[in-house]
Amino acid sequence: MIFSSLRVTADEFSSTSGWDAKPEGICRGELCVPAPGALTDGMVDVEVVADRLGMPIVHDADHGVWSLGPATVTGRTLSSAVARFPASLIDVMGRGFDFASLRGRRVIMIAWASW
Amino acid sequence: MTVALDIKPEHARPWIDAASPTHPSLIDTTHCTNELFGFINVPMAVWIDENGVIVRPAEQASIERSPARDMQIPDGVPDRLKRMMTEVKAIPDDSAAYRAALLDWVRKGSVSPYAMTPDEVVGVSRAISNDNALASACFAMGEHLHRTVGHDAAIPYWRRAHALDPDNWTYKRQAWTLVTTPEGATENDLMQGPNDVYEGNWLDDVLAAGGGGNYYVRANLDRPK
Repeated sequence: MIFSSLRVTADEFSSTSGWDAKPEGICRGELCVPAPGALTDGMVDVEVVADRLGMPIVHDADHGVWSLGPATVTGRTLSSAVARFPASLIDVMGRGFDFASLRGRRVIMIAWASW
Repeated sequence: MTVALDIKPEHARPWIDAASPTHPSLIDTTHCTNELFGFINVPMAVWIDENGVIVRPAEQASIERSPARDMQIPDGVPDRLKRMMTEVKAIPDDSAAYRAALLDWVRKGSVSPYAMTPDEVVGVSRAISNDNALASACFAMGEHLHRTVGHDAAIPYWRRAHALDPDNWTYKRQAWTLVTTPEGATENDLMQGPNDVYEGNWLDDVLAAGGGGNYYVRANLDRPK
């Protein structure tokens, strides 16, 4: 997750990380982690969230970007069994995919690579 | 659906074009499915039910036995290649059982004994340590800089990612192939041998991890209901 600032809108943080900043905490599905100070006037303090969720931050000062790692707070790669489909996946034409079209169907998602 | 973990879409495209797939065939240019689903090697897969709930976590997903497992290693092949082929042959083959389990789930859905509950799926998904998460952040930074600045800017981050999470083969093989494939080659170098940029390479890293027998996250399909 790449950010150009450590203060981002709640919408940007949600779409990038999959975690929603709410008054009660940082939430994904039924899991909510209290995070006082994380959400102020609709803006998320990424460092506060990272501390609460156990997300490492890597900073590249030369290029002015931060990379936020995944949450370690649950100790597992999956914090929920609800699939979170990334909007960044593209087809060979560079187009996005409407994952909602898969609802109602059983899906096997197979990872492969050209290498 | 298939997802190619290739930071350069043009590397995946010939394979997809050749297959003429009728299923969604997507490309993950940032390897974000790594942290979202746990894909740390290929092929791996997750099963997702009609409601968008994962019913099997990321695990090895071969559905047919690779001919490489049964090949005879010819006399006279270079020693390094011989050692690679030996390790490939040692990779466990669970393809028949996995294919049977998959077809069972396709037929029966949630009552299939191979479909897990949400708690089971979360509980058996890959454990994530601070080093694993930091490796993910480093790989993502490297990918971002590779795309926006160039490969040289990515190298220190990818080297760190490799050191922090040596069990993640997608981080390593993606980076290795970029430096071991000759410029202008139509296909990626799959040997991924020693190079001057990254510390590891396929054979030595496989051996360091205990050999081909430890190469994949094997599916545990022994769970009768």
